[in-house]
Amino acid sequence: MKLAHFFGFGRTAEIGSAEDRLAQASQLKLTWWRFRRHKLAVASAVIVILFYLVAVFADFLAYSDPHDTDSRRSYIPPQAINFIDDGAFRPYIYGLKGTRDMRTFRISYQPDLSRKVYLTFFAEGYSYRLLGLIPTNRHLIGLVDPRPEDNLFILGSDLLGRDLWSRLMVATRVSLTIGLAGVTVSLFLGVLLGGVSAIYGGAVDMAVQRLIEIIRSMPTIPLWMGLAAALPQSWSVLQVYFAITVLISLLGWTDLARVVRGKFLALREEDFVTAAELAGAGQMRIVFRHMLPSFLSHVIAATSLVLPAMIISETSLSFLGLGLRPPAISWGILLQDAQNIETLALAPWLLMAAIPVIVVILAFNFLGDGLRDAADPYG
Amino acid sequence: MKRHATNVVGFAVALALLGTAWPSSDARAQAGGLAASGLVGKVEGAELVLDKAQMPKTFNEAPDLAALVKAGKLPPVKERVSEEPLVVKPLHQLGKYGGTWRRGFLGPGDVENGNRINASDKLLFWDYTGTKIVPSVAKAWEMSPDGKIIRISLRKGMKWSDGAPFTADDFVFWYEDLYLNKDIVPSPISDMSADGKQGKVVKIDETTVEFQFENPHFLFVELLAGDTLIGGGQSVRQAQGFTFGAYSPKHYLKQFLPKYSSEDAVNQKARAAGYENWVKAIHVHKDWSLNSELPTLGPWKMTRPINSPTFVLERNPYYWAVDTAGNQLPYIDRVVLTLAEDAEVINLRAVAGNYDMQERHITLSKLPVILENQAKGNYKVRLDLALHGADTVLQVNQSFRADPEIAKWLTNADFRRALALGIDRDQLNETFWLGIGTVGSPVPASSSPYNPGKEWDKKYANLDVAKANQMLDALGLTKKDGEGFRLRTDNGERLRIQIQGVKALLPWPQQGEMIAQHWRKIGIQADVREMERNLAMTRVRNNEHHIMMWSNGGTELLYLFPRHAIPVDPTEAFMGPEYAQWYVSNGAQGREPTDPEMKKIFDLFRSAPGKKDEADRIKIAQEIWKILVDQQYGIGTVGQSPAQFGVRIVSNKLGNIPERVCIAQHCRTPASSHPETWFFKE
Amino acid sequence: MLAYMTKRLLLALLTVWAISVLSFIIIQLPPGDFVDAYIANLSASGSVVSMAEAESLRILYGLDQPIYVQYGKWMLRVLAGDFGESMEWKRPVIVVIGDRLWLTVVLSFAALILTWGLALPIGIYSAVRQYSFGDYVFTFIGFIGLAVPNFLLALVIMYFSFTLFGANVGGLFSPEYDLAPWGWGKVWDLIKHLPLPAAILALAGTAQLIRIMRANLLDELRRPYVVTARAKGLPDTRVILKYPVRAALNPFASTIAYLFPYLVSGSIIISLVLSLPTVGPLLLKSLIAQDMFLAGTIILLLGVLTVIGTFISDLILMWVDPRIRYQMD
Repeated sequence: MKLAHFFGFGRTAEIGSAEDRLAQASQLKLTWWRFRRHKLAVASAVIVILFYLVAVFADFLAYSDPHDTDSRRSYIPPQAINFIDDGAFRPYIYGLKGTRDMRTFRISYQPDLSRKVYLTFFAEGYSYRLLGLIPTNRHLIGLVDPRPEDNLFILGSDLLGRDLWSRLMVATRVSLTIGLAGVTVSLFLGVLLGGVSAIYGGAVDMAVQRLIEIIRSMPTIPLWMGLAAALPQSWSVLQVYFAITVLISLLGWTDLARVVRGKFLALREEDFVTAAELAGAGQMRIVFRHMLPSFLSHVIAATSLVLPAMIISETSLSFLGLGLRPPAISWGILLQDAQNIETLALAPWLLMAAIPVIVVILAFNFLGDGLRDAADPYG
Repeated sequence: MKRHATNVVGFAVALALLGTAWPSSDARAQAGGLAASGLVGKVEGAELVLDKAQMPKTFNEAPDLAALVKAGKLPPVKERVSEEPLVVKPLHQLGKYGGTWRRGFLGPGDVENGNRINASDKLLFWDYTGTKIVPSVAKAWEMSPDGKIIRISLRKGMKWSDGAPFTADDFVFWYEDLYLNKDIVPSPISDMSADGKQGKVVKIDETTVEFQFENPHFLFVELLAGDTLIGGGQSVRQAQGFTFGAYSPKHYLKQFLPKYSSEDAVNQKARAAGYENWVKAIHVHKDWSLNSELPTLGPWKMTRPINSPTFVLERNPYYWAVDTAGNQLPYIDRVVLTLAEDAEVINLRAVAGNYDMQERHITLSKLPVILENQAKGNYKVRLDLALHGADTVLQVNQSFRADPEIAKWLTNADFRRALALGIDRDQLNETFWLGIGTVGSPVPASSSPYNPGKEWDKKYANLDVAKANQMLDALGLTKKDGEGFRLRTDNGERLRIQIQGVKALLPWPQQGEMIAQHWRKIGIQADVREMERNLAMTRVRNNEHHIMMWSNGGTELLYLFPRHAIPVDPTEAFMGPEYAQWYVSNGAQGREPTDPEMKKIFDLFRSAPGKKDEADRIKIAQEIWKILVDQQYGIGTVGQSPAQFGVRIVSNKLGNIPERVCIAQHCRTPASSHPETWFFKE
Repeated sequence: MLAYMTKRLLLALLTVWAISVLSFIIIQLPPGDFVDAYIANLSASGSVVSMAEAESLRILYGLDQPIYVQYGKWMLRVLAGDFGESMEWKRPVIVVIGDRLWLTVVLSFAALILTWGLALPIGIYSAVRQYSFGDYVFTFIGFIGLAVPNFLLALVIMYFSFTLFGANVGGLFSPEYDLAPWGWGKVWDLIKHLPLPAAILALAGTAQLIRIMRANLLDELRRPYVVTARAKGLPDTRVILKYPVRAALNPFASTIAYLFPYLVSGSIIISLVLSLPTVGPLLLKSLIAQDMFLAGTIILLLGVLTVIGTFISDLILMWVDPRIRYQMD
């Protein structure tokens, strides 16, 4: 099979039409064909894309200010939306009235059946910048002429009376980009150090391998803790955000470096590389023109497997109080809010913040698996 | 000894008169919804019998001790309880011996958990209302009219937990061999000094000791009763690396001191036991929570140290208190504290009925869950309301310098008042105190003698967005950005005030988030910074914070615990670390306040210990509170709540449990309700 | 061969040394020191500490000295087999850890066995029946463990096992055995408490192992010798289990060494939630309290265990798989 690979490079073979297609296809195309066979991976890819769309349009999809607090809206369970009003499609919710029972100290909310608050698309809400550029206050959905105490709570509210749905939207943006940014740094470090290690070998290889071994021998949490605790407290949320990203990626690159190094070493022995060398290609050309394309898909696969680890790291760090801190909103912070027995007993809906985490991590994993299976299209 | 004019009863009466109306009449707390809950009862507790005629003449003891006496391993109970035992009248009935009190703790850092159970080893204490000073280890006390000599009378024949006599020598030993030893206590403490001059401890006879000062020290008796360095007792003040509390077991500890052998000998001994040198060794040897051999005075002695998974205390066979029928206390055999790695687990275990009495680490926000499981866990919930003004105070750093523009506003009284008016305290109360707290300024409860008067309770503590905006506009903060936030006057950027919060006694960072939302309406951008506790404290010591969120618990007795009301203690000087340094060093270090009001507070506070008349001291404290409210150095929010040690989970099996107890710092909850009189009913 | 082993051993020592330096630096990174943390903790629990006391504590613990002096002193003691004293626990570090280390080992070992028990069969099945319904279902279950944040899982399981079944809340022992001396009863009590935390801990690592096993086996299954064996009509089970699985296990074995710090890291969080007396919470607390010698020793010990594990697994691999031996020469 490896020979077919070699001969398939830039040459037209005269075989039958189906095989013709196979032989003529570029490596990426082959990978794609193979990837398509992995149904779960394809579905996962769609999910991942959807998640990133949410990340891009987070503020548009949110319908109330994720920071806005109000004790009169504390711990409101997910609200039912009525879709049909007077036989027509006109979604509405009932106004809510909360009272605290001073025997149980729970707040219970009763719908005020006499007062319907209608929903509308492209409603006006809090101001934000669409795509970070266009100032607007339009949101996908919203209420028509709400009173100050009226609010929509599709997924319920938290202790401070903030809307979980809107917070989830914003958190998705934060957590997904943190993962992406972290992976980028990891990827850079991994490919650079893994590649350097493989190309130069000897002392350089030894040094890099030692570094990897040391990092992998350390329990990760103390490493993060020490580094996270060392971040200057005067830093803004944004600065901390990037610092945390870099921290997570500092530990994540070792896996990538190993993959890259391993693949480099393996490919160096391959016939097509030898052939290229014999043909007089320069080292750079061999690396970038011949070797890189053939393990690019491996790197992509490895990357898609590192990403969920980054997201989990973010949630774990936040849980330990070391990652992002409120008022920043991330999945980890939402989960941290749910980390107590009063949430489990009084507001179990806050646990729903775990669902997107689970879904996106599953999706990334299946995607990564599919990519890796497809990475060796000639196998 | 005629110069000792004031006697025991006289002093107590004076205080009692001043404090008659104290916690029992918390009208605000009783009114409205909280009364309906039935969780807040009347303040009650075990009382001391001080009338000699009513004291029992014969004594009984726990069955296991009786067996030891019979076997000849222990002297008879009459010899053990001393000739003049403390007589405690249990709240409801005489108890039965036996049982294990199960409780939870969080590890070696949680030594205060055990200290507070054994806190009756203080020289003087407070009664269950927290208003009257009563005897404890000391039988009686007297102060000379000039306030320079405080005489302490001990109980004749009183014994350490190992049976050795407890005498005046143990005080002199503490003073001369520990307190004055620079290796153990590098610098003297202010409790022991009157107007800058250190006092001394002198033995008069076996059962009489005097604290002698060159200048009047009228506060000293209160210091002895309070949760202070000198009055804390052996349990708390000689644990955790500290060496205060005024007495120490000479017969046991002298073997570890160079003075009684040689430096080489004690060092050798220390190294043999695994310590670097004798100083390190003695800090462990005199720590009751670590060394089970250490003789103590508390109702229970430690048998398993706090640095093991189970911290166990067993009955002290030589405990010097009895009930009205002469039964030696405590009733309960042992206290077993099991380690939890996390406070969440303590709460869940309490809810599961795994503890017999737990108020420590129980979180107010879990109250609905706790109530729901009352029947299942076979316990009852009691809410104890605090006396201090605010569980959350925004302490504004007056000595901030790092950013002149920010400093300009933090030190501006109208700016602080505007911030105070911009907070919606009812919202905070509903969200974080379940509507149970009392909103207001940082002054102590209105029933406290130190409360400066009704008009100060709510001053600057009502939401008034319009007025706040008006005040900020008048200050020249008129320019705003697109989002409505006010701009700095120096560079036109947004004015950002940092609120530093720690997740400790209360969810302060979350509260900060809510306050930041309220301040949006007055155009002030608040950046909430949640951080690790020691990081926050380091920043405070480095004078880096703008505003720190903390409780002012303990400040209800301003002289005994002032640090969270006024910046006079550099350890936690949230309101101005540099000013606190200036204050304690008498101007040698730190920076002199430029604010005349702050200086006035310092002058007033400094003058109090020299005032003989308690009423004068109280008046001075009220003056200080008035300035504090007027200036809003600390912005009060919600207080007088059960948020700190006030949610009490008590097993239905326990008897003699008060409906409500004093949870103030000086009451050393639960010690002031005499846990040694609690018992298991079945 | 011998030369190679010596070289590996020297490198391992170098790694351990680097870890010791790194761990000491990490502990020093946050501002403040043990005394600051200590005072902060005490004041939050209602104790009073003065500045003078703080200073005396600092001198007592030698915190007034420069960091490299503190490190040097510590290293000298460590070389003499003395890991110093924990400032917070006021006991020799080794005593503090000793209580918990073996519980950590027991828990990690239980988790390891569970991880293998789940990952091996699922990995083999998924590789042999690639893209089948079973492949999807089992992989999915394996991945769920990876995807659900385990601290959340731990709390939810603990809460509901209490509310629904009245189970004990957290810990590795029942209250009645907490104080009891070691005996069969206590061991059995421990065994009864192990499955829940071990399962939660194991779940997170399972997915990774499933993936490794599946991928390795898939590689092996495509090799000509398998095709030949199949063509010759050998039963499927034998074909797969006899050679490919064994070959696929090799890289699997090399990951064992790294599983240990991974499990310990993971156990920090769930031990905190479930209140398990392992080194995890101890490490976290000592880092927060800046209890240098305790935190340093735990990190160092874990590092050493990993390095030893790597070294041994290298040796085993070398012995098992001749191909690796060739690479070395």
